[in-house]
Amino acid sequence: MLLCSTETHSLSYVETADIDGETNLKYRQALGATHDELTSEPSECRLASFDGVVFCEEPNDGMYAFRGQLHWRGERFLLDNEHLLLRGTVLRNTQIAYGLVIYTGADTKILRNCGKLRAKRTRLESSLNRAVIGIVVFLLLVVLLLAIACGVFASRVMIRTEVLSALVINGDPVYTGFLVYWSYFILLGPAVPIMLYVTFELIHTFHSKFINWDLEMYWPQTDCPAQARNTSLCEELGQVEYLLSDKTGTLTQNRLLFRQCCIAGEIYGDASVRAEDTEPMDLTWNPFSRGGLFMWAPTLVERLRAQRCPTISRFFTALTVCHTVMAQWKEDVPVYQAASPDEGALVGAARELGWVFLSRSRDVMVVSEMGVTRHYKLLALLDFTSQRRRMSVLVRDPEGSLKLYCKGADIVILERLQRDCPHQESTEQALELFSQACLRTLCIAVRSVSETSWEQWSKTLARAAAMATFDRNALLEKLYDEMEQDLQLLGVTAIEDRLQEDVPETISLLKQAGIKVWVLTGDKKETAVNIGYACKLLDPDTRLLEWQELRQILQSPDPVVHFLKIKQTDLWAVEKEKAGVQTAVVLTGPELTEFDQRPEWGVKFMNLAQQCHTVLCCRVTPGQKADVVTLVRKHTSSITLSIGDGANDVNMIKTAHVGVGLTGVEGGQAVQNADFSLSSFRFLQRLLLVHGRWSYRRISLFLRYFLFKTCSFALVHLWFSIFNGFSAQSMYETWFIAFYTAFYTSSQILFVAFFEKDVSAENSLKWPELYKCGQRQELSGPLVLFASLVYALYASFVLFFVPCGVYYNSAVDYQTMAVTVSMAAVFTANIEMVLLTRNWTKFNIGAVCVSLLLYFICSRITHSKFLFQRAPADYLFYGASDEAFTDPVVWLTALLTAWTAVLPSMTFLALSVIQNIHGKHKVHSRSQQPVELRSQFGRKTSLCRSSFVVAQGPV
Amino acid sequence: MVKDENESANRPDNTAFTQQRLPAWQPMLSAGIVIPGFVLIGLAFIGIGVALFITSRSIQVLELDYTGMEQDSPCFRCSNADLRDCVCSIRFSINSLFEGPVFFYYGLSNYFQNYRRYGVSRDDNQLYGDLTYFKKPFDQCEPYRYDSNNQPIVPCGSVANSMFNDTFTLFQNVNDQQVVVPLDGKGIAWWTDYNIKFRNPSITPLRNAFNGTAKPLFWSRPAYELDPSDPANNGFINQDFLVWMRTAALPDFRKLYRRITEGNYANGLPAGNYTLEIAYNYPVLSFNGRKKVVFSNVSWMGGKNEFLGIAYLVIGSLCVVMSVVMLIVYAKFKFPEED
Repeated sequence: MLLCSTETHSLSYVETADIDGETNLKYRQALGATHDELTSEPSECRLASFDGVVFCEEPNDGMYAFRGQLHWRGERFLLDNEHLLLRGTVLRNTQIAYGLVIYTGADTKILRNCGKLRAKRTRLESSLNRAVIGIVVFLLLVVLLLAIACGVFASRVMIRTEVLSALVINGDPVYTGFLVYWSYFILLGPAVPIMLYVTFELIHTFHSKFINWDLEMYWPQTDCPAQARNTSLCEELGQVEYLLSDKTGTLTQNRLLFRQCCIAGEIYGDASVRAEDTEPMDLTWNPFSRGGLFMWAPTLVERLRAQRCPTISRFFTALTVCHTVMAQWKEDVPVYQAASPDEGALVGAARELGWVFLSRSRDVMVVSEMGVTRHYKLLALLDFTSQRRRMSVLVRDPEGSLKLYCKGADIVILERLQRDCPHQESTEQALELFSQACLRTLCIAVRSVSETSWEQWSKTLARAAAMATFDRNALLEKLYDEMEQDLQLLGVTAIEDRLQEDVPETISLLKQAGIKVWVLTGDKKETAVNIGYACKLLDPDTRLLEWQELRQILQSPDPVVHFLKIKQTDLWAVEKEKAGVQTAVVLTGPELTEFDQRPEWGVKFMNLAQQCHTVLCCRVTPGQKADVVTLVRKHTSSITLSIGDGANDVNMIKTAHVGVGLTGVEGGQAVQNADFSLSSFRFLQRLLLVHGRWSYRRISLFLRYFLFKTCSFALVHLWFSIFNGFSAQSMYETWFIAFYTAFYTSSQILFVAFFEKDVSAENSLKWPELYKCGQRQELSGPLVLFASLVYALYASFVLFFVPCGVYYNSAVDYQTMAVTVSMAAVFTANIEMVLLTRNWTKFNIGAVCVSLLLYFICSRITHSKFLFQRAPADYLFYGASDEAFTDPVVWLTALLTAWTAVLPSMTFLALSVIQNIHGKHKVHSRSQQPVELRSQFGRKTSLCRSSFVVAQGPV
Repeated sequence: MVKDENESANRPDNTAFTQQRLPAWQPMLSAGIVIPGFVLIGLAFIGIGVALFITSRSIQVLELDYTGMEQDSPCFRCSNADLRDCVCSIRFSINSLFEGPVFFYYGLSNYFQNYRRYGVSRDDNQLYGDLTYFKKPFDQCEPYRYDSNNQPIVPCGSVANSMFNDTFTLFQNVNDQQVVVPLDGKGIAWWTDYNIKFRNPSITPLRNAFNGTAKPLFWSRPAYELDPSDPANNGFINQDFLVWMRTAALPDFRKLYRRITEGNYANGLPAGNYTLEIAYNYPVLSFNGRKKVVFSNVSWMGGKNEFLGIAYLVIGSLCVVMSVVMLIVYAKFKFPEED
């Protein structure tokens, strides 16, 4: 709690960027009582004897609310949010602030908002785990059945077979079965892909490295490459369906530029030129000029210097006087500390054009107008609130006349103009023009106030100020309203909120890829909506669904039906199907808290949100950002990705499936907690559409192949057991079992997992629709995994029964058959590999060839005379491959077996190739239409303009 | 310059590998490749299948079951397990020349030579002629490791113990006279088995090597007296023993017994009546097993094997059928407006 500070009135200025993402300055004021008492003498002594008691609410995560009481010297003072300096805020322009600590450590508001750290596991990994558990359960069951069968065989057949009866252990079939249970456990064990987990990590690491290595995601300005901080989430990037983005610093650069203005109906400046390309104007005549004005308006400069037009002069006087900016002097130039970045931009622009705000004291503002220093006496400041959407100052100018300068949102100002105000029509046209260019506009107006009315008004004001809180606000409101009447319109300013590079393009691309982009911001609703329009998240046609309406929909029994009904009656919903896409939900923090009370709304809301274009959440605390993420996670099975750059995004980044941190200006907190760090929002397209997609594809292929090869290989024993009395006889040589996973089938799938790409990076970006395959889990869904297991079962069936059919009732011995089946298994695994691979690098080709070669070489080695003579009992298969490899029947059988085993996958591939011809055509024809990035604001502008023409002032 | 380098110290390397731009071949599959591919492969399979089938058809096979289960079987008498040294004979006739060289197999069915504990019940070191294992056979040989007198069994284990011991003599009946058809028992085992895998201990005479050992329980003669007619065909390198020791893959199998390559029968068995005299020793009835003899000639693909040819034909036709289906699907996708 702030007790006092060295500034006047014990004000303290704080920057809350880490909490809500706003970089402007806000002020906090100490209680009058503590200020008066504690600053009168050297504060240290006074503070030491301070003995107030604070009663306050339990620690909570509400960032914008606080209720408490200070009991001191028998009096009670109400405390609210304005008296608090929160942990995480940065003190600015204040030398020393003394305070009382209320919450510490984990009880502080920021830590309450921090959320818990949890280990992230990818969806694929969990479905893999489920598949593996399924395999294990299946195997246990099968092994049990086999053991029982073995016992039965022992008691029914073996006992009666002279040559085998002695082999029933201790003459007890049950015990034999029990031992065989363990033998089968070992024999079928390879079907459980334990190696997969190790390889999985290796592949993840490589994919992360590829992200780190990507030059296209390297930001030369800050020498910052993209970084995968969590190496195990790569494939998740290929399945993202919800992108939850922070605004400030993520979508916008948080740099506001004064681009255009309209004074007395005349427009200066041209916003169609990019800010960087604007020709700099010659401002050398102005000693205060420091550059940074991106406007080309020589006529304005000319007229300013001539000082003939009073409207222009008054317009700029309004800019320099009507604000809450603080000036600091550095090297003979004023540096402005603005509570709102808009104001900073306006005052800065005025300075460049010769109207320089020099300094302010409590009631005097010093301004230099084209070199002439003038003092304005500040009589009253009618401050900005989000309801009023305007601010005014009442000043006495050096000539002695009273003037009210007012700036605010256009509809607010326009309705307060005097009748028959000149230039109103032309200014409205200018407003339209500016809003089409996505500029933030403010109307500037002035009013001359008579002495008598001022005196009367100020008396009422003084009386009102003394009143109790609640009534006072209403009364002040009324008073202010009285004063801000009969305004005379001066002009309009247009400010550009600079977006990060390529943000609209990126968002449009991601939207085409089927990703729903939601914006979660601590900013005001108006700002958020404005940015939504600027970055093409919202179309001009988009219908904003606000709380009142949303509430009605949510309360109705069937929200979706109700929603559709509303849309049908909707004026803007031209087509029925289009209507859903064209709706955006706008929510604010306090409204979100209602969701906590009504959990049943969550489902309804998500159903609704899935129909909508986007969702904007404004004024949300970091905790609420995370709550929104949780909401999405809870009610959909989709993958969420959060992107943010500030400490206020940390919670959301940690909560989402994938967290992306931007290495920006707001410190490293977000990056520290993120899974991936990027330098610019636009790299997201490459991260998701290229790396994510590839990674998803590679890992899915890897997974399916791995399950296939291990299961088809091991389950052969299942079939063989029927023919060997369930005796756990192996179908393969021991050495082959060891080498199969290590040499014959490992390297090629690894290279596929590294290098596979079905579509090049350029084409992935060109056809964002391809991304949807990951969202629908086309390559890795439970059904797909199950299908590949069934396929593996089929392959194992073929691997055994084709050779079995060929060799039944023939003179072929066990070893030859073992070699045939193992040869067929290696062929099957490699043909399947060939079918999977689309991108044949030299490594892939090499791996397949080497694997096949290795099989023959290793077989020859383990079946060699040399090794046999060293250890006859370990190299039993000596001679088997000599015979088998020269026998045409073995080759023909192995080929037939392998071909039959891969036939389903071959057919599937062929059919998909045939169908794809059609699909590719579709993608082609669709992508030929150029992506519409510059949206047309011509239609219906008047309907929606009000929502994004907004003043931003101090909070 | 130094500053420049510092500024881009984190710049990733621009190599084909790091940028994932490794030169690669991306085969563009299209219906134009896939469908003809399927047809070609299908036709190739059908071709192989036809060749295999025809070859298989040309192979003559004669199977004679002599288990003696049925009352009217000449070996019914011998199928009684208590009877020792029982001899029965089967008469059969060949209508046309059975082309040579004729292979003479004995076949067993429902006989699990691939039972795991049976298959490992042998001592390869012992069979390799290692005398240390004569004294202390491999423990996998249990329960055929030591006999009741605690003497080590050589050759130990189930496989050797259960060696097939029926013997056959083939006669051609010419004008009421029985002419012995010479049977060639040489080289019926694998070369590697005969020359390397199985070795007799280098002690002469061979029987000395077996001093202090016992013969397998079921054997009537010790290993060094397996073939009294040919002293070189004794011990572990006895051809019949080698054939038996190469265990079968599946419970129904046949094993080569002799070849008919000599004398008048080098070109095959001429048409006529034959008598097969069987020394019936091996009991199979207890486990519902069957015994048979098989005469067969061979081709490049070995013995008669219709399954392989038919399987090739089936899979090949399946491919062709599949390609037709694909063609229909393709037409459907290519010209959707015509539907």
